[in-house]
Order: sequence, then structure tokens, then C-alpha cells
Amino acid sequence: MESRWSRIIAAGLALLVTAAIGVLLAGGIQQTGEQDPVTFAYHEVADVLALILAVSMIVAIITYLVVEWVQTRRLDSLSHQFSTRTFALIPIAIALNIILGQTVVAAIKLPIYLDSIGTILVGVLAGPLAGALTGFLGNVLWAYVIPPPFQYAPAAAFAVVAATIGLLAGIFARASLLRPRPDQPINRLVMAGIGTAVVIAGLAYLASLGYTTAFGGPPTIAPAPNNEVFDNGLFIVLGWLAVALVIGTVLGLFVILFVRRDLTAAYVVICGAATGIVAALVSAPIAAGVFGGVTGGGTDFLVAAFRSAGLSVGQATLGQGLISDPIDKITTFFVVYLIVSAMARRTKARFPQGERLLEEGDAPTAEGDGWRGATA
Amino acid sequence: MGRPGPSAYHRLNPLTKATVATVTAIAAVALGGVVGPIILAAAAVLSPALVAGVLGRLARLSLLLALPIALSAFIVNLFFFPGAEQVLLRIGPITATGEGLRFAIEILVRILAISGAVTLFYLTTRAGDLTVDLERRGVSSRVAFVANASVQTVPTMVERASLITDAQRARGLDTEGSMWRRIRGVVPIVGPVILGSIAEVEERTMALEARGFTRPGRRTLLWTPADSARQAAVRWGLVVGLLALIVARVTGVFG
Amino acid sequence: MTIALDGVGYRYAGATSPALLDIDLELRDGEVVGLAGASEAGKSTLCLVVSGLAPRTVGGQIRGRITLDGEDVDAWPMHRLSQRIAIGFQNPSTQLSQVTDSVFEEVAFGPMNLALPREEVAARTWAALETLRIDALAERDPRRLSGGQQQLVAIAGLLAMRPAHLVLDEPTAQLDPAGTHLVAEAITRLARDGVSILVAEQKVDLLAAICSRVFVLDGGRVVLDGWADEVLADRRLAEFGVMELSTVQLSRAAAASGVAGDRLERALHA
Repeated sequence: MESRWSRIIAAGLALLVTAAIGVLLAGGIQQTGEQDPVTFAYHEVADVLALILAVSMIVAIITYLVVEWVQTRRLDSLSHQFSTRTFALIPIAIALNIILGQTVVAAIKLPIYLDSIGTILVGVLAGPLAGALTGFLGNVLWAYVIPPPFQYAPAAAFAVVAATIGLLAGIFARASLLRPRPDQPINRLVMAGIGTAVVIAGLAYLASLGYTTAFGGPPTIAPAPNNEVFDNGLFIVLGWLAVALVIGTVLGLFVILFVRRDLTAAYVVICGAATGIVAALVSAPIAAGVFGGVTGGGTDFLVAAFRSAGLSVGQATLGQGLISDPIDKITTFFVVYLIVSAMARRTKARFPQGERLLEEGDAPTAEGDGWRGATA
Repeated sequence: MGRPGPSAYHRLNPLTKATVATVTAIAAVALGGVVGPIILAAAAVLSPALVAGVLGRLARLSLLLALPIALSAFIVNLFFFPGAEQVLLRIGPITATGEGLRFAIEILVRILAISGAVTLFYLTTRAGDLTVDLERRGVSSRVAFVANASVQTVPTMVERASLITDAQRARGLDTEGSMWRRIRGVVPIVGPVILGSIAEVEERTMALEARGFTRPGRRTLLWTPADSARQAAVRWGLVVGLLALIVARVTGVFG
Repeated sequence: MTIALDGVGYRYAGATSPALLDIDLELRDGEVVGLAGASEAGKSTLCLVVSGLAPRTVGGQIRGRITLDGEDVDAWPMHRLSQRIAIGFQNPSTQLSQVTDSVFEEVAFGPMNLALPREEVAARTWAALETLRIDALAERDPRRLSGGQQQLVAIAGLLAMRPAHLVLDEPTAQLDPAGTHLVAEAITRLARDGVSILVAEQKVDLLAAICSRVFVLDGGRVVLDGWADEVLADRRLAEFGVMELSTVQLSRAAAASGVAGDRLERALHA
């Protein structure tokens, strides 16, 4: 146990040290450039921050693995995450990412993505590195190898973003943040409820701001005009699914919080918001630099709105990201939490991180009296 | 050389074709401007497509692929380019600007080049061939497994979801009607597809382990795509060239 | 190769009561043994335990001893055990590897994982295809086959591992009558060729056709065991939730309506 903490501390130190070096090299965190009027973010700083973040995370992971190797001469955290079950789950997760993501991007025009459900599911069930692999590989396949109408060329550029999302989801689950916590005392629930409501209201307000700035009215959901392929009933249904998810998330979170009295609803919001912000930071420079901020999805409306308000490409993509990503990730984490809650206890437990998704007090059966677990 | 394919380009090693696609896509971004990507596309996308005999399909597919992005990019940049002086057109409160047009065309050409490069790869290479080649070169057989299984799972899942959608429609699922009805109709489809797929994971895990999946190390490959020293040299040349291009751009040689 | 289970019990992870208790079983070379029992009696669990998937892949806890030719296999990893005992399941489509486009590659999946030389892989694959008489399907896409054909492909994939023993958990349960017939026939041929098989089935007629011995499970314990024709004619089968043989049902019906049962039986077996 202590050795695990020493590894985590080592990795954390490595993260901070690398980040500090990065900041020093970049000349300190100055507030240069223009401040985005909606989200108060400085995009040039954010670009540099994204790079520092990405590099620091890689260094931290490598540090963790090196320390583990030095301590135990084996990489158990790797092999434990990557069991056969994980490898059987990942293709399904990637398929979910692609089908849902492509429908949201091409068929309907909501300012969200919904292309990380599979990534986060694997991160939560199997582990951070498994989640990172799912995100990265899924995006690369989505761009190069998946046949049309599902092929989406820009996905490869965002493979790193997807990997980061999977990594974070795995870390949050590993820290037992997503363990159900039912039957909490009412005062805790009320506090959590207020916090959740504030966060969601804030994000929803920002999102509606972007939309009304651009088009003076709420979004409509219909298949985009040049997509006969997506007129098929399935995609209309999936399109409505996306709307349902976003609306359902807000309602559902409050149901979980107050009906099931499960405090974890608040954690879902926190994990989602945090992942969303990091994802926005890392994806903004890519979207701006490679595609001029426009990736073909509903998020482009937001970018247009910001541009019309006078922002540069970099500012607009960051602004759009900071609005879309947290909402998208909160929704996704919520859906993943629902899926995991719906899984039978014994199915969940067999996954590498399954034990961390069970309620406290669901202790594994004791050995002894001749009963023994698998030794091989 | 390689599995019999309809043309010399088809018969190239898949890693070579992947390198061409990736280098072209990155170079399209690194070059910037309008002329650069056009020449690049002509050399690295259109010419091989001609040799491979897939020019027609390439044009159609890559345009389809690029269309949503291109349309968005064009409109957003044409009308919403801040700080632009040169006014071309005024439609109510929205103005089309010259600077906007130029930027829009730049992005458009870049997107077309990327889309073309990626589509060329897709049309001339079988996914399974690339993973087998990478496996031969040392990529873990489990990662290769996951890549191949993912490609097969997408159409399988769509088919299954379509079947469930049709069945539910026959039972009166509303895909028209009010928003609330439509949202409610969605649940009986999502449930079976997602939870059903996850339930299958257990069976698939057992079937895989029953067939030696857990054995560590490499596995036998029945066939691998052929490669040659010349192709390897070309691949390295392309990568080095790309790096040189990026360095040149970053240090301002081309301005 | 002899597989022996001695006082074996098994319970699933998180379960309070065991799924299997006090199982004493011996499976010998060239034998075809049947497992009968009602739905939750423990047939599938016993198949998982014999093949080693329980507790290795499936989790849970085990008790007692399992030996192969006398050697305790507790510490054997799954990939080593899978080369001696191969297990097939009910659902034909979830047994497909999902990484192959042709039946040939699908059947070769197992030997390829074992890192055998190419010629060996090819030889084993063709042998398995021919044994099950599906060599004509070699170039077909496994996803486009019927359920019965997919199940044959799955069994061929197992045979290609050259196991000493085959375990089949209700191989015809999810098949339509045509598929059931196809698979039942194939298994009958395998049995006649001397392949060692442990087959769990609700369809007792199939067990009667191929098994020399039959075990009946109820509530996780063995309640009946012995020679197939004796066990399957036992009056107590109905209590254990096992369907009777159609011949037995017929005899009983005949006796009830006054037709001499023994004449009917002689006529049936003629």
C-alpha cells in the first residue's frame, strides 16, 4: 500500500516539476492578448498551458511506471488494466464513440460532441491507460479506417484530446469518486444539490448566450440538408437521443441526488466539468491551428458567434470549447454512471476497476475453509 | 509484391500508404496558403489516385467527407472574420469580407487535401492489412486485435440498432410527434443496444480465453504484406521531408 | 488424458451459497459424457469449472482438487489449460473473434494465438474444417453464416487447438431446428470418431444418441450418474426437472393405453 502512495506522489511531483519548468520556459503566466468577453479566458496563455499540461501528464505517467518497475520489477498496473475483458470491451466502446459522435456531428447540430461515452466507460471500468488507449485508437480509426458514412477525417487530429479524456476518467474512477453513495443525510445532499445547480445553471447560461448571439433563437433538431444517408430512421432516433441525454442529464442528476439520495451525482458533475475544461484547453489549439476553428459540427455555430463578436480564431475556439466541453462531458459522465449502475454487481466486479464502482460494504466473500480464489 | 491488388499503388505496403496519407495531411497544414496544398494534393493525392484507378471514387468520397466541414468553414470564415476591411457583400447585418474569403479558401483547400489523402488510403488499403503489417513490426497483438475488432463492431452495432429501431417502430415507436414522445421513444432502443453489448463482453471474454488469447508474446501471422528497402527509404524520406518543412515554416524561411 | 474432479465446489464472486458442491467426476479418454439437469442446476457452471474458466476468467472461489492425469492444475494459467481442454458455448455469434473475414482465418485464430509455425496452423485448420465437413465454407464470411454453421465454425476453432478434451455447454440451445440438426449430427460424428467430449444439454435425446455415461445435476450436486441408457430411463428424472426421452414417454403412453410396452420398445429399436 505504501509503495502505491509513493508512486502516486512521485508522479504528482513529476507533474508539478514539469509544469513549473514549462511555465518558466514560456516566460511566466502573463495575461497577454485579449480577454474573451464571455468566458474570461486568455487564449494565448491557454494554448501554452495546454501544451504544458499534455507534456506534464505524459511525464507523470512515465514516472509512475518507472517507479513501479523499480519497486516491483513488473508493471502490474499495466497488465491489470489490460485484461482480456478490457480488450473485449474496447471495440464496443470505440463503436459507441463513433456511432454516437458521428450522428451528433453530421446529422444534428447541437453544440456538443457525445463522442466520448465509450472512452470514459473504459476509463472508469478498466483504468486510466486503457481509457487513454480507447480514446486515441478510436479517433485514429474513426479518421482513417472506418468506412463512410461514419468516417470523420478531423478525428485523428484530436486523438490526443480523446486520450486525455480517457486518462482523466480512469483516474477519477480509481480515486473512487464514482462509487455510489446512497442514503446520505439530507444536509449534505442539499449542499451538493446547490453546488450542482449552480454549476449547471452557469454552463447552460453560457451555452444559450452563444446560441442566441448567433441566431437569436433556440436550436432546432432536424437532419442537416445534405445528409440523405442520415435520413434513415435510426439516425433521427439517435439525434433525439442526444437531445434527450442533455435534458435528461440535468433532471436525472437531481433525481439521483434527492430520490436515491446518492451523493455521487455531485461528483459526476465535478468530474464532468473538470474533464470538460481540460478537454477544451487541449483541443482549442488543435481546432484553431489545423482547422481554423471549424470542425463541421454544431459547435461551429458557437465559433461563428464568437467570431462575429470580434474574437480571433484562437479565442473563439477556446470560448466555444469552454462552453461545449463541460456540458458534453457532464452529460457523458452521467450516462456512463447510469450504465455502470445498471450493470449487475457480479458483471461489474470482474472488470479491473470494478471494485471501485461498488457501494461501500459490498465486501468480497471471505476465503478460508478450503475456498480459494484463482491462483493463475 | 503484396496481395494482388488492381494497381501498383494498391500493392504497395500498407505502412507506406499510411505514411503518405499522414505526411500529406500534416504537410497540408504546415504549408499554409492556397498554392502549396493544391500542388501537394495534385502530387500526393490525385496522381496516385490516377495510377490506382480510383480517381472518380476518390473525388466523390472525399468531397462527401469534406462537405460538412467545408461548408461550415466557408460560411463561418467568409462572414465572421473580425477586423476585416474589404467588404464584398452585405446581407442584412452580415458582411462577407475579402480577408474572410481568402482565409476561407485557405482552410477549404487544406481540408480538401486532408480529406483526399485520408480517402486515398481508405480506398487502396484494407484495414486488416495495415494491422497485420504493424503487428509484424512489433505492435502488440492485443492492440492489433482491438483495432480489427473495432472496425467490425461498428457496422454490427449499427445493424443491430437498426433492427431494434425497426422492431420498435413496428410496435408504434414515435419518430415524429412531440419532443417528449420522441425522447421517450428513444429509451427502448438505447437500453438493448448498449447494455446488450456490454453483457456480451462476458461471453466474448470467455470465448477468447478459451482460444489462447491470454498467451503472452507474439502470435503467428499467416500472411504479411511484402515490403522493400526502396519503400522503406521512401517512407523515411517523406518523414524527414515533413520535419524539414515544419522546421522551415516555424523558423520563418517561407514567411 | 483423464480429468478428475475430487470433492469440487464452486461459488461465484459475491454469492452466499455455492453453485456447485461435492462434485466427484472423472472424464476419460475417448469417452462421451453427458450432463443433464434443469435450468439453474449448475450444468454451465460445471462446464466452466472443468475448462478452468472458473475461477480464472470468471472470478469466484473453488474448493477441492482438479487434476489432469493426476497432476493438480490449480496453478496452470488459462492459455496452458486451453490447449488441453477446449470449451464451446451456446451463442454462436459471440464466439466469433470479430477480427476475421473468412471461416479459414476464424478457425485458425486459436493456433495463431499459440504461436505455432505457419504450416502447422494451416494443417490444423484444414483438418478441423474437414472433420466438421465445412471445408466448403472456408472462404465465406463467418458473420453471414446461419446459426448452425457459425456453431460448427466455433467447434472447428476449438478442434484446431487439438485439445485432449472438448466441453460443450448446450451447443444447440440457441439454434433453430435446422441448425440443431446440423450441430447434433456433427457432434455425433465426433463422438463416433473417438473425440473425448463432455456435453451439457437439455435435449436428452441427443445425450441418449451419443453419450456412454450421463450425470444429472440438481441444486449444484450430482444426483444421478451411471450408464446413459440406465440414467436416462430412470423414473426420477422428472423430479430433477429433466425431460424424459421421447422413447420413454412413448412407452409410458403406450402402457397407459394398453399397448404392450415391450413390443413397442422392440419395434423402436429394430
